[in-house]
Amino acid sequence: MNAALEAEGLVKRYGARTAVQDLSFTVPQGSIYGVLGPNGAGKSTTLRMLVGVLRPTEGHISLLGGPVTREALRRVGYLPEERGLYRSMSARSAIAYLARLKGTPSGKAFKRADALLNDHGLGKVKRKKVKTLSKGMAQKVQVLAAIAHEPDLIIFDEPFSGLDPVNQRVLEETIRAQAAAGRTILFSTHVMEHAERLCDRILLIAHGSKAFEGTVRDALALAPSVAVLETDGADYDLNAALAGRGFTMSEELGEHGNRRWRVKLENGHNSRQLLQACVEAGAPLSLFEPARASLHEAFVSLVGDKAMPDAAG
Amino acid sequence: MSPIFLVARRDYFAYIGAWGFWLSLITAPLILAILMFAPVLLARAEPPRVLTIIADNASDAAAVTGEFEDLARRSARAEINAYLAATAPTIAPDALAAFDAAVEQGGDNRAAVAAARAVVTERVPQALRAFPQPSPRYVLTPPPMAGVEALRPYLDGTQTLADGRTLFGAINIRREADAPVIEYWSLNLSHNEPTLIAQRAMRLTMQREALAGQGLDPLEADRLNAFDPRIVQFDPRAAAVDAEVTARQRAPAYAALALAFILWSIVFSVANMLLSSVIEEKSNKILDTLLTSVTPMELLIGKLLGVAGVSATLFLFWGALGGTLLSIAATQLGDSVLGQVAAAFLDARLLTAFAIGFIAGYLMYGAIFLALGSLCESIQEAQTLLGPVALVLAIPMMLVMPAMDNPNAPIIQAASWVPLFTPFLMLMRAPAGLDWVEIAGQGALMVLAVIVVLWLAARVFKAGVVDQVSMSSWRGRKAKD
Repeated sequence: MNAALEAEGLVKRYGARTAVQDLSFTVPQGSIYGVLGPNGAGKSTTLRMLVGVLRPTEGHISLLGGPVTREALRRVGYLPEERGLYRSMSARSAIAYLARLKGTPSGKAFKRADALLNDHGLGKVKRKKVKTLSKGMAQKVQVLAAIAHEPDLIIFDEPFSGLDPVNQRVLEETIRAQAAAGRTILFSTHVMEHAERLCDRILLIAHGSKAFEGTVRDALALAPSVAVLETDGADYDLNAALAGRGFTMSEELGEHGNRRWRVKLENGHNSRQLLQACVEAGAPLSLFEPARASLHEAFVSLVGDKAMPDAAG
Repeated sequence: MSPIFLVARRDYFAYIGAWGFWLSLITAPLILAILMFAPVLLARAEPPRVLTIIADNASDAAAVTGEFEDLARRSARAEINAYLAATAPTIAPDALAAFDAAVEQGGDNRAAVAAARAVVTERVPQALRAFPQPSPRYVLTPPPMAGVEALRPYLDGTQTLADGRTLFGAINIRREADAPVIEYWSLNLSHNEPTLIAQRAMRLTMQREALAGQGLDPLEADRLNAFDPRIVQFDPRAAAVDAEVTARQRAPAYAALALAFILWSIVFSVANMLLSSVIEEKSNKILDTLLTSVTPMELLIGKLLGVAGVSATLFLFWGALGGTLLSIAATQLGDSVLGQVAAAFLDARLLTAFAIGFIAGYLMYGAIFLALGSLCESIQEAQTLLGPVALVLAIPMMLVMPAMDNPNAPIIQAASWVPLFTPFLMLMRAPAGLDWVEIAGQGALMVLAVIVVLWLAARVFKAGVVDQVSMSSWRGRKAKD
């Protein structure tokens, strides 16, 4: 497996405060890699170290097979969390300017800016000043500016934040298209659904340290399976009926006067044993639905509730 | 293409493309001209102040009246002299002689001015275009009522004179034990010039009376009072033939003073541009994007170069405009005072000192302002940091007037060695002559200071833009501590 990026023992301290602690991970070439974690976990600090904005206190980074140099960074596209553009520049000039800073010749930079804006439905506003664009449009322009120089590695810090659901989907498509073109994409997010849909591999950071690194499937395997059950009427208490049988459950909002229960299948239990226990207890079941664990649940099981990112962003 | 060049180019075109730049490019010379000429125009626009004189003794009233008339005549003569010195210096002596002759023949001010004008009309008619029409600062009117108490309604503005004018003040000269006492009544409490004029008149009267008491002819007494020795100033460094100090020798000092003010204003303005530019980038949140392509030092230098380009454009425009006007003035006005001041502006040594002063001053103050800007999230925050810097920047301006008076005063010489002041004070001291030790020493200190300031500014700038160190974060940290 060729690595587009390798981090080894990364540490970043600000005085007595440690923002990132002994972080090691590898981003395979051509993959979509997600860095997940709650706010303040150290995601942005890690990404800023990867693109050379911050110097690690300790540790080593290999970027596209070598050290983090100006030449290597020219092959990297970066969308920071704190983002913005020159408000008085036109959309195409802003994209072309950032591409030129990455070494793209002027003529080519403007051609690519025009093509990207046309392809992403912004052709009509390409000569408009950034300050006249809507927030969503400006964010799209910023994403395009990060990829206009056709980098080998694209690093996006919280790219979905601030976008409406339609534009979030458009961005997901853009990420997939870039990956299909052979580029490596690394992005950070605290919204599990994006990572679940897009990523080949993920890195979970909590309190500046690595909590997990691997494929999404591996992460999901760490979470217990669940089953969703519904019982008729408002009076039946399934939790009390199954007490002492080793099932952990929580009650959710039911419909049509029924009660709904979410049962964790852990400690060696499976859905068949749960169903059998319900039958034996005479539970008036109206729904029994085994469900796959979400990434969110996988992370809760890894780091606990307090360090968890928001479930829906 | 170098990232430094791209940053500089973007910043340059961002400023050049703004309408505010063109507005200031065009309006600055206009505003400067207005500031230069407004006081004169305003003074001319003000109508003469109406005074009345009351005296126990008619001869005292006549003496004070005569002094006011004499003042009006001297002012008119000086105005004509200044105008002709600037426009037609060759005929100034003849025109003034005609003025004096008209006065001696008993003519009033109007007749004297007309006599001088006639000489100009005959000899240099093209100089008539803006020939002055002197107007006295004060006109005297007989008291509308007898006694000061009766004049109160006129003096406090409740009543006007018969012709509709307002009475500005009343001078009451009383005699107490034969010694005159001057009372001045006016609503304008801060203006005491009329009392000084009356005081001078009464002093001359008393001298004349005292000398007459000693048996001296009053005319002889007047001749003694009018004695006014000719003053000639010499420069010991000049050859004996050219040693007399005239307007030609004084002109470079005036030009240096003007250039020092211009240099100070431009350095302060462009340094402010840098400050707002970096704050704008911080608030636009574009710095992280830029920092993957340029280092903080490259960004700092690129910004300095970009705004230096803006300054160069301003200098090219203003320099071409000013240079053309000054060349025309120097040629057309020849040996006149204005012609000599215009020529002094075009002196190569002064312009070189100005250029070096601008480069060093811009780099030092520009780098400081950039570094400060990188620590601030808003202009409001920057203003609190700028206070001490503005005070430092004000020091050389407080020293330029003493430097004009004595360029080699110990405090001026000492201050010249402080690199932050050197650009302005070197310019002020240049006309008086600087020795090579000072030029080399102060120049070397400025270069060293530029390097140190740029290095320090780059570190602060890096902390501000990369590590997000800011005044707010300091305050937050302090609060936590």
